[in-house]
Amino acid sequence: MDASIGNVSRPRSGEGFWLWIVKILAGGLILFLLGLHFVANHLVAPEGLMSYKDVLAYYQNPIIPIIEILFLVTVLAHALLGFRGIILDLNPPAQLLKLLDWIFIFAGVASSAYGIWLVMVVVARGTG
Amino acid sequence: MENQASAKHWLKWFDPRNRSVSTWAFILNRVTGLGLTLYLFLHLMMLGQLAKGPEAYNGFIALVKNPIFTFGEVLVVTAGIIHGLNGIRVGLAGVGIGARYQRSMFYILFLLAVILSIYFAAKMLLGA
Amino acid sequence: MSVKWNVTFRISRQKSGVEREFQDFVLEVDPNEYVLDGVERVWAFHDRSLNYRHACHHSTCGACGMRVNGVEKLTCITPIHSVTRNGGTITVEPLRNFPVISDLVVDMSRFYLAIDEAKFFPVAPVNKADLPYEAHAEGQDDCERLVDCIECGICISACPIALTTPAYIGPAPLAAAQHAYNELEDASILELMDDVNAAWRCHHAFECSAVCPSNVEPGWRIMDLRKRIMRHKIQNLLTSGK
Repeated sequence: MDASIGNVSRPRSGEGFWLWIVKILAGGLILFLLGLHFVANHLVAPEGLMSYKDVLAYYQNPIIPIIEILFLVTVLAHALLGFRGIILDLNPPAQLLKLLDWIFIFAGVASSAYGIWLVMVVVARGTG
Repeated sequence: MENQASAKHWLKWFDPRNRSVSTWAFILNRVTGLGLTLYLFLHLMMLGQLAKGPEAYNGFIALVKNPIFTFGEVLVVTAGIIHGLNGIRVGLAGVGIGARYQRSMFYILFLLAVILSIYFAAKMLLGA
Repeated sequence: MSVKWNVTFRISRQKSGVEREFQDFVLEVDPNEYVLDGVERVWAFHDRSLNYRHACHHSTCGACGMRVNGVEKLTCITPIHSVTRNGGTITVEPLRNFPVISDLVVDMSRFYLAIDEAKFFPVAPVNKADLPYEAHAEGQDDCERLVDCIECGICISACPIALTTPAYIGPAPLAAAQHAYNELEDASILELMDDVNAAWRCHHAFECSAVCPSNVEPGWRIMDLRKRIMRHKIQNLLTSGK
């Protein structure tokens, strides 16, 4: 059911203060982590990580996997929240929105898990 | 009726005709955000090549030295710079800091974004 | 001795049950006249079935908001020379994002309900002014001024979120809430606007501020309202946690 304009108090899911502030703070954190990611991958890393063995060697430094995982999770949160905001502007019916929310959560969790797994594989291969 | 608020008008979000520069900023943020989200998932898939071992990854790196990919990367970097700097304006104005001057903030940040984009584009297209 | 221009008024016509179409009316006008004068002359001398809203003709009532060449304008203060040239065409359409009742008249009832719910206050004490142009002279501290919002709905027509989301209450009610909170300091206003379809729905396109004919700066007011809502929420969080 439409929450009509003259009736703002009727609850309807969407993006309230908490989700919005998470999106904004994630955005801010991304700027910082992106700076680190860029500096590390392109200026500090040997030859800019253009070969497999360079990537393995690079990930041996423990700070790198930590930064990269943090970066991934923050970017996923910001991107998925942002995309959800655009979907919300298309006024989906409540049932569809609930389904989409689960898809977003799944996409975020699955992608994070995949990224973490990948990082651990690279770290393990480098030590092996 | 055609004039009513409706999700089927969504394409008009991206139509800057008859609108002010503030709408340009809104459109840019949306378009770059969507582009970057797409890139995020492509990038994650590409990194999966790392898990397949040295031949897969090194082969992939050889593939992306192709100028088409470099051009795509320039677009991604440009989108990231625009979205990031514009996002600073959105984040600050959205909590009431400098909201009266948001148009000036946009001009300054967009100018900075253009300068940085040209610099990085030149570096990537000519330096490689 | 006044200059005369030949201008075509291309007016959106839409009666119930009939498809919307544009009709052209060629008028001889003085370029310093206003678009609303042209529309009125079309009604008076060319087609009495044209419906449009107007009242004060001096930007106080907010009735005559329309889209002129695709841009929202208050037509009583939009000179013809600012939107066309001699021999040109002026396209006149109703405001977007409101259901059309007839021709250039739209249904504003939901908007009026929303602005009422925001406890819109038409007068404000001068000593609570926010913006520089609201500043006052010495000895006027106990005076009141009319709040700038004339409830014309032009901001809602321009807003890209109001374009696709009927549930969004819109810039004017949010700006009204900011004004009302300034005046009344009633936290229930903040709680009402702390809603997914109210203060947090805005995507900072700021098109509302760009088109407002009355210096309300609704975009800024929405952000200021957010600041106040955040402060209120955090205070609540801290005091209830104790």
